Amino acid sequence: MVVSLSDYLILSSIVFCIGLVGIFVNRTNIITLLMCVELILVAVNTNFIAFSYFLENESGQIFVFFILTVAAAEVAIGLAILTLLFRNKGSISVDVTNSLKG
Amino acid sequence: MENIYLILVLSPLIGAIIAGFFGPLLGRTAVHSITILGVLISTVLAFYVFNHHVLEQGEVFNQNIYTWMQIGNLDVSVGFLVDNLSAIMLLVVSFVSLMVHIYTIGYMADDAGYIKFFSYISLFTFAMFMLVIANNFMQLFFGWEAVGLVSYLLIGFWHHKESATEASLKAFLVNRVGDFGFLLGIGLVFSFSGSLDYSAVFSSLDNALNQQLWGLDLITVICLLLFIGAMGKSAQVPLHVWLPGSMEGPTPISALIHAATMVTAGIFMVSRMSPMFELSDIALTVVMVVGAITALFMGLLGIVQNDIKKVVAYSTLSQLGYMTVALGVSAYSVAIFHLLTHAFFKALLFLCAGSVIVALHHQQDIQKMGGLRKKMPITYWSALVGTLALIGFPGFSGFYSKDMIIEAVNFSQLPYANWVHYAVVAGVFITAFYSLRMFFIVFHGKSRIPPDSAKHLHESPLSITFPLVVLAIPSAIVGYFIIEPILFNGWLEGAITVAPNHTSMTELSHRFQSASAMIFHAVQTPPFWMMIGGIIAAWVFSLYKTQWADWMVQKFRPIYYILESLYGFDRLNEIVFVGTVKKLGNLLWRVSDVGLIDKILVNSSANLIGVIGSVVRKIQTGYVYHYAFFMIFSLLIILTWTLFAGDSPLLEF
Amino acid sequence: MTNPYSFDIASLSVAIPEIFLLSAIVVILLIDLFLTQPFKQVTYYLTQLSLLITAILAFNLIGQPDTIIFSDSFILDKLAAVFKVLMLGAAMVAMVYTRHYLIQHSLFRGEYFILVLLAMLGMMVMVSGYSLLTLYLGLEILSLSLYTLIAIARKRSNAIEAALKYFVLGAIASGLLLYGMSMVYGISGSLNIGEIAQFSSATNLGGREALIINFGLVFLVIGIAFKLGAVPFHMWVPDVYQGAPTATTMFIATVPKIAVVAMLVRILIDGLGAMQLDWQGLFVALSLLSIAIGSLAALMQTNIKRLLAYSTISHIGFIMLGFVTGVIAGYGAAVFYVLAYVIMSLAAFGVIILLNKKGFEAEQISDYKGLNKHAPWFALMLLIVMLSMAGVPPFIGFYAKFFILQQILSAGFVSIAIIAVIFAVISAYYYLKIIKTMYFDVPEEGNTFSISAPMDMQIILSINAVLILVVGLLPNQWLKLALSLF
Repeated sequence: MVVSLSDYLILSSIVFCIGLVGIFVNRTNIITLLMCVELILVAVNTNFIAFSYFLENESGQIFVFFILTVAAAEVAIGLAILTLLFRNKGSISVDVTNSLKG
Repeated sequence: MENIYLILVLSPLIGAIIAGFFGPLLGRTAVHSITILGVLISTVLAFYVFNHHVLEQGEVFNQNIYTWMQIGNLDVSVGFLVDNLSAIMLLVVSFVSLMVHIYTIGYMADDAGYIKFFSYISLFTFAMFMLVIANNFMQLFFGWEAVGLVSYLLIGFWHHKESATEASLKAFLVNRVGDFGFLLGIGLVFSFSGSLDYSAVFSSLDNALNQQLWGLDLITVICLLLFIGAMGKSAQVPLHVWLPGSMEGPTPISALIHAATMVTAGIFMVSRMSPMFELSDIALTVVMVVGAITALFMGLLGIVQNDIKKVVAYSTLSQLGYMTVALGVSAYSVAIFHLLTHAFFKALLFLCAGSVIVALHHQQDIQKMGGLRKKMPITYWSALVGTLALIGFPGFSGFYSKDMIIEAVNFSQLPYANWVHYAVVAGVFITAFYSLRMFFIVFHGKSRIPPDSAKHLHESPLSITFPLVVLAIPSAIVGYFIIEPILFNGWLEGAITVAPNHTSMTELSHRFQSASAMIFHAVQTPPFWMMIGGIIAAWVFSLYKTQWADWMVQKFRPIYYILESLYGFDRLNEIVFVGTVKKLGNLLWRVSDVGLIDKILVNSSANLIGVIGSVVRKIQTGYVYHYAFFMIFSLLIILTWTLFAGDSPLLEF
Repeated sequence: MTNPYSFDIASLSVAIPEIFLLSAIVVILLIDLFLTQPFKQVTYYLTQLSLLITAILAFNLIGQPDTIIFSDSFILDKLAAVFKVLMLGAAMVAMVYTRHYLIQHSLFRGEYFILVLLAMLGMMVMVSGYSLLTLYLGLEILSLSLYTLIAIARKRSNAIEAALKYFVLGAIASGLLLYGMSMVYGISGSLNIGEIAQFSSATNLGGREALIINFGLVFLVIGIAFKLGAVPFHMWVPDVYQGAPTATTMFIATVPKIAVVAMLVRILIDGLGAMQLDWQGLFVALSLLSIAIGSLAALMQTNIKRLLAYSTISHIGFIMLGFVTGVIAGYGAAVFYVLAYVIMSLAAFGVIILLNKKGFEAEQISDYKGLNKHAPWFALMLLIVMLSMAGVPPFIGFYAKFFILQQILSAGFVSIAIIAVIFAVISAYYYLKIIKTMYFDVPEEGNTFSISAPMDMQIILSINAVLILVVGLLPNQWLKLALSLF
């Protein structure tokens, strides 16, 4: 069967939604949260590559390389924050982070 | 001439700067000498300018002094427009300011903030000059804000008094409402004329004709917005609540700022804008009705006050109402005439009140005074002149201006003018009643002063009594001499425009014979008998049968209660203005960060978007999720909007 | 464009400030490594020096003809050059205040300054970004540095919490922005701003493609709105402002706003200007909501940093209103507002930092009770800031609001102007509350406001606050500058 552009777009939007919903559905663990952020980026990458392929224009794929790099850096910082949170609160559940409000 | 105007305007500023920055080094005597000298120079020059422009009919001076910003077509300059209107205003402001400066020497003698006070009132004088001499809207607005700022500073001058601080906050807040209306009005003026210069704006008024905004003429909208500004400054109902509170400030500034000059800025501004207001009967009607409401109902409140300054404050509100009524019926020159006489006699009354207050060691309750006539003769006679002028006793200056307002209303063709006429005639009775009630209670009758302070009671020092006497003279006679030139012989011609279909001024000039004839004619008019009635009523209730007053209070408790609670305006103000804002803020604060997500969004979305909602409901513990949810929910709303709305509907709005 | 993958070495000269800054970062990082504790101040001075040199380099580029290099992804025009100078200037002032704060709270580490320099680099790339890729990279360099700058106070659980929230929400916002970029790329076939502009103004899209690019536009607007902190994407702002170390809060509150506005100009005006009618309505909604929520929510705050956060939100609303007008004069007014906002915020946070002492943060509004008694000069400075923020003439904040309202009225949006004005009136209340606290309340027992800040900070802060008045008195040149950028 022929996979069309819209199939890719639908796939990526589904992944995107899973990522978004995951962020506010999950409440136990910040690591899950980082994973959801990754999912969003993966959806974006899928979009870019699909467009790039069907447009026959390589700049989309170049963009993806950069996104991957940034994502790696982002996760590194996310994990660092996570470690600090554990040191301060003794937990990595997001439930503990509600002292700033109002 | 340009240099004369510059010196006139700047000399109080220089005085203020010297007093403000070097005052502590110079000492008290030097400070008051310098600031008084500054204002004295202004006063002398103001007499000269008055003579040049008004009496000798000199050329109108309209020139930009300094260009300050020029961005595209927006040109903001400091410029002077000196015509007869500003010349008269300059004279009034400088003269009253000079008297108040002298008076302050005696009044503030024991105050630690002596130097600061002088620097503030000189600064105020400068700002007021800038306001009246402006030739463009921007400078007008700046002067407007500057006088306001000094006024807040001075209301809160005794900031160790909690009530003074609150009053100054209240004045600031209420004036913001007016100011933003004013600013929007200026913005709209700019949008149709492309200029902020008076003459350019007035000559391009044709552009604005036939333009509509919110179902009204553009001109009407502009006039109403500008009038909102005037309502704030000139304390018209419902933006009047700050003026009685402003009595927390020292008495000299009550006389200068809150009676004679700043509060009349709104009246002055509307007169300046007369070419615009003349084009809108709707705006004029609103002006007239608001003025009448203020004149009548604020006078009523004066009857139940027991604080000597509050009585005078409510009387100021009521008189400002009279001026506004005059504006509404297109009798601008009468409004300016009343502004002028009022400046003298109301400043006089305030200074008399201050003299009494000082003599009684800051006792302001009139029920604890009485019989002061013997002990303070100069104050007594000055207060008598002021009171007679205020109630419009024939021959005194207030008589001419107020009678002319009442007559002008009588001739007005505007809708509701007949009702307004009744209101202003009834106002005469009320004015006479509360003024003489206060006068009798304070100066006549039995002394209710505690014996220990009665022992030291004596007339105030010369620095206080001198201004009283000097102000008493114009309060008594100025009306007689200037009524003819100011109203009918064209002192204000050119500065003020009256549309041909507003005929009250022409009718007035047909009826007018001479100032002396008015006195004899007065006996045949209802206002005179209303005034006599008011005097008699005041005498009965406050001297002859004082128990009747108590009986009336008993019998008409509900009315008394309404008056005493100031028609609930303060309460309303508290609830609507401060309360609602606070509550709304509180609500939104909860809603936007906590409540909306927890209670409204999460719970109701359970019904709306079943799946997401039921999932979300399980997880309402950590706030990050809620934030994220909020973002995504907003995203969904926006996407839906984009999908279905087509062209952006908000732009229509 | 001849060969997209080649470039002339000489053309690199337009990127000299960035190149210098990057090299300086590397060098300072290495030097910092070998400095022992007593000499750590050297890092600070090197930072200031490299900011200064970068600013001079950027200043020299003002007035050069518009140049686009690096395969059409990096632009130098007047907007870029002027914004860079402004950002670098603001950052230098911020660093003067920051040093005092860091020393008071034992946070003085070389990394802090390195991260600030990195954030500056990111912002300079953003300002010059002329393709979606460079804009995104600049934004991420900025954001990643900011997350770390918040978490640098690693023993404070509030700071960590703020970092976490900013990180999570920021990541989502980046995701949304990228998603939008992918859609715009997919329809227009290019990442380059100029080509997107050509495409969007030349092509009349229909049906599905129009929908996709409209959705893309929405995602882009949301991404930008998040970075600006506009309602309803504002929820991170108060938490981060409150939780972050005050120096970081000051930095987040000031410089990045300039960069994000530049990004907004690049994407929405330079790139998708032809779709202005599509984002205009959205902007109206976002800005009015921001002004409303910002003004109302601030009323009940007791923490001054949180209060300033809400006040920022309402200022952002005004800035966005300038872009609603769709005319150059409106954009100029918005840029002028940004400038005013940055000057005011720097001074506001400067006073807060000034009053910090060892282990004491002057965070609560009640900490400012009776400030006038003990430190009248700085009470006056804060008074100027508050009056200016409230929009009282003749301070700069008044002109900022005035120009925006004037443009809004000229564009015919009278109701919008009125709503904005009503909320501006409301917001005057809380600024006034602070003034009242400083001037009329009795200081709390034992609060003597001993000022331990070094003289350089006191002087710079005074100049900063006086500038609010001076620019307010002479706004002409600044407004002309802002208008000349478009």
